[in-house]
Amino acid sequence: MPYSNILKDHLARPRNAGELADANRVAEQTNPACGDRLKLSLRVRGGRIEAARFLAYGCPPTLACGSVLTELIEGLTVDEALRVSRAEIIAAVGGLPARKTHAAALAVETLHQAIGQIHRQV
Amino acid sequence: MDNSATTPVDRRVVEAMMPYLTEKFGNPSSVHFYGQEARAAVDRARREVAALINARPNEIVLLSGGTEANNDTVLITVMLANNEIGTVQPIAEIGTLVRELRAGGRKYLWLHTDGVQALGRMPVNVETLGCDLLSMSAHKLHAPQGVGALYVRRSVRLAPQNIGGHQERERRGGTEAVSMIVAFGTAAALAREELDARIAHMRALRARFEAGVTERISDVIFNGDTERRLPHISNVSFRFIEGEGLLINLDMQGVAVSTGSACSSGSLEPSPVIRALGRGDELARGSIRFSIGKDTTDEDIDYVLEVLPRAVENLRRLSPLYQQAIAERACTAV
Ligand SMILES: Cc1ncc(COP(=O)(O)O)c(C=O)c1O
Repeated sequence: MPYSNILKDHLARPRNAGELADANRVAEQTNPACGDRLKLSLRVRGGRIEAARFLAYGCPPTLACGSVLTELIEGLTVDEALRVSRAEIIAAVGGLPARKTHAAALAVETLHQAIGQIHRQV
Repeated sequence: MDNSATTPVDRRVVEAMMPYLTEKFGNPSSVHFYGQEARAAVDRARREVAALINARPNEIVLLSGGTEANNDTVLITVMLANNEIGTVQPIAEIGTLVRELRAGGRKYLWLHTDGVQALGRMPVNVETLGCDLLSMSAHKLHAPQGVGALYVRRSVRLAPQNIGGHQERERRGGTEAVSMIVAFGTAAALAREELDARIAHMRALRARFEAGVTERISDVIFNGDTERRLPHISNVSFRFIEGEGLLINLDMQGVAVSTGSACSSGSLEPSPVIRALGRGDELARGSIRFSIGKDTTDEDIDYVLEVLPRAVENLRRLSPLYQQAIAERACTAV
């Protein structure tokens, strides 16, 4: 189970876990292959993400990617947040085993859904 | 808390095997003194292993472990006790059935059972079980990894897997791993001597553990037959969370466990064993196997009971399934 210490730390101390009472963007996505779920709630004001919270169910990478995503996007403008890539998320959790990179994809998709722009990667 | 995966090597076992790693290095096939000394040690170990399962020494094929012992060609194989939930299968009943079929003309119908988890954790008697072959692995019995045995009833003829040498009565060629075999033999002797005490000890600790879990954590389900079950395994499903995240949380606090979640096995499907109990995906994914050993203490259990509730709570707090359940419960309460 080659998980990084950063990833394990996110599991032991998840950042921004929960839901925002005053969220104005909420999205939830499920990975159809394994059933992992990620729910994201954002408070966006003046084109900027003021606050982000997540809930997640599934394997450790899914939980850690949700946690890291909220850290990465808080304070960014919506346009900046849309440029956050899978690779950045993977780097921020200290790397992922190849067969677990779908956890980062789920994070990106959920973010894009929340922001309101479904984005398909080929 | 992961003694089903492997067990710490007993100090007495290390002491017994040590001379065979140093001055007593003979090849059991050699005719000279060194060889005969090694031969005698292997034979002694073989007698101890045989005694543990009420077999004859010449029915024991020493080999590298449980996996190798399982790699024979047999018609019927049923685990004596399951490694995930500890459920003990009715081998004796199946054995009776197989013997009836054999008497009725099915001359080459053999019953094999995997006794790897059961050995040292319940009485194993090949005569009352009525099995024809039984696999054993030393490292679940406080001896090192890489050694084990296959019991082969005298009427059964096996094609050898390792061809070349004449060792193990032509059934398994290759020079014997003498020091490892000595370790296995010593561990078998100790297990036979201490079996009742070990069983009572593990059973008591498990009861303490399960009572503690029930008291401190909501939404848990214990998997497996509560009666016909090995004394050292407690398999628990924690609702709303995934087992591997819990495993990591516990590992970071020095508690080692196993999980039936798909993440660990590398497949997409969670534990087929838990699902076969009719539990559904969520409970299969949230299952953790705690397994106690003869050296586990009350303090170990209490420490687990101290960190486990927090680890579960930590993951439930961020689980959308849990939040949903809480909301629904609040609604029905109103
Ligand atoms: C039930 C069972 N059978 C077989 C084995 C394999 O034994 P070994 O590791 O000696 O190959 C194990 C565990 O490793 C086991 O739990």
